[in-house]
Amino acid sequence: MSLILQALINGLVSGALLAVPAIGFTAMFAVLRFPNFSVSGIATLGAFAGYVAYGAGLQVVGSLAVAFVIAGAVGLVLDRVAHLPLVKQGALPAAIASIASGLVLENVVRLGFGNDLRGYDRPIARDMHIGDIRFSPQQFETMAVALAIMLAVFAALAFTRIGKAMRASADNPELAALKGIRPQRIAMMASFVGMGLVGMGGMLLGLDSSIDPLTGTRILLSIFAAAVLGGLGSPLGAVLGALLIGIAEEGAVLAVGSAYRAAVGFFAILIVLSLRPRGLLGERAF
Amino acid sequence: MTLLTVSDLRGGYGAADEIVRGASLTVEPGEIVALIGPNGAGKSTLLKLIAGLLRPRGGHVRLRGRDVAGLDAPDISRLGLAFVPQERNVFGAMSVAENLEMGGFLDRAHLRRRIDELYQRFPMLADKRRAAARTLSGGQRQILAMAMALMNAPALLLLDEPTAGLSPRAADELFATIVALNHGGVAILMVEQNALEALEVSARAYVLVQGRAEREGNAAELASDPTVRDLFLGGAAAPMLPQDRGDLR
Repeated sequence: MSLILQALINGLVSGALLAVPAIGFTAMFAVLRFPNFSVSGIATLGAFAGYVAYGAGLQVVGSLAVAFVIAGAVGLVLDRVAHLPLVKQGALPAAIASIASGLVLENVVRLGFGNDLRGYDRPIARDMHIGDIRFSPQQFETMAVALAIMLAVFAALAFTRIGKAMRASADNPELAALKGIRPQRIAMMASFVGMGLVGMGGMLLGLDSSIDPLTGTRILLSIFAAAVLGGLGSPLGAVLGALLIGIAEEGAVLAVGSAYRAAVGFFAILIVLSLRPRGLLGERAF
Repeated sequence: MTLLTVSDLRGGYGAADEIVRGASLTVEPGEIVALIGPNGAGKSTLLKLIAGLLRPRGGHVRLRGRDVAGLDAPDISRLGLAFVPQERNVFGAMSVAENLEMGGFLDRAHLRRRIDELYQRFPMLADKRRAAARTLSGGQRQILAMAMALMNAPALLLLDEPTAGLSPRAADELFATIVALNHGGVAILMVEQNALEALEVSARAYVLVQGRAEREGNAAELASDPTVRDLFLGGAAAPMLPQDRGDLR
């Protein structure tokens, strides 16, 4: 029983960390209308940008801000130069181009930092125990930061003028243009914020374990599965999807071994596309 | 000064697709003008070209004397033109209040006051302010769509088939609302399949056939014209034949 409870808690923690890049991915899909797979490279870039900033003496929050800005800026340039010009030909060419962009970014990071695993040099803290259940204070600190980021994103979408304009543009871009909302500006905003969130997600996952040039590639399938499971285009759905994927991955480790953890994402996508293609909350739900 | 002057406007959805073929019309300040014609005549396409949702291939669109042909929709909206499309004319996933806020996106300074005014004018919107727009009935949705358009205090409102899909009673109420809006000083250019009712509330009308305004005139006179009656008011969906167009000329 305690093993199951431990897996549930671990799943919730990893799901919360996964939710941040999943919100970024789904928000970009809602506005730009193509699955941007360059999030693998952007998550890696964010993880390394945060790593450098943290190594230079910034605190976690400051390092996350650096990861957000660097990932957002690079993602914005990639979208403008390599992805969005292809969207006119359909979502598929843009999606394929984004896979290529992700590979380029991954290898640029590899060129700069090599293939070695690196860890954020955080102070060591003793685990806490409640019965047989083990808690790491750092894990919870990271999860709290992730929850704060999510709250900030949802508050921005719900209460700010630009957040509402992004939702309007995702809901009905033609009508949004008729109301004076400039689609190009909203697309740029979605690229910057979405990629920034993915970059922060990369760093959060790095804080929880370690980073290397394949950090983003390893979580790409989980990010995509979380977004599809929740309903592509729905930020709230992405959070729900990420939590479920996190719990399912930990459950798979417990049930069939860690080698099958990666299969959870494939399995979730297969089930959702077969039974409920619009996802749990449907596309473009808040 | 004439509010809207469209002259020899051409355009469509694709490069080789010319649905509007040299349409010309005018709208004076404060009047209601109906645009009637058979299915596929290009009425909705003409409104989209005027509103900037489609880029014209030729001709001019002058709003208060300024040529706006080729400008993007947000720029044309800024100049005082509001377009209510036939379908998908509200943000379904957003609440009624948020829809009104987005309607007033361009004019933050008067946002609260205008929303309060619209709540007084349409109490249904106040009652449903927290409801998602997709949950409204067809008639309520049309009212919301028009209220959103009014948020920017436009000089000219383009309505694309506002009563499509509504019950006769809801359509009558909507026509009454359109007249009331017009009495408030908003000029209206309206595409409407419900041609007889549209002509009843309009000052003037144009008959659009194959992308061109084939006939214009006083709405009451057009309503009593035997050819127009045969083609649009009795057998409203009947396509106009070439010989009929000759009669109209």
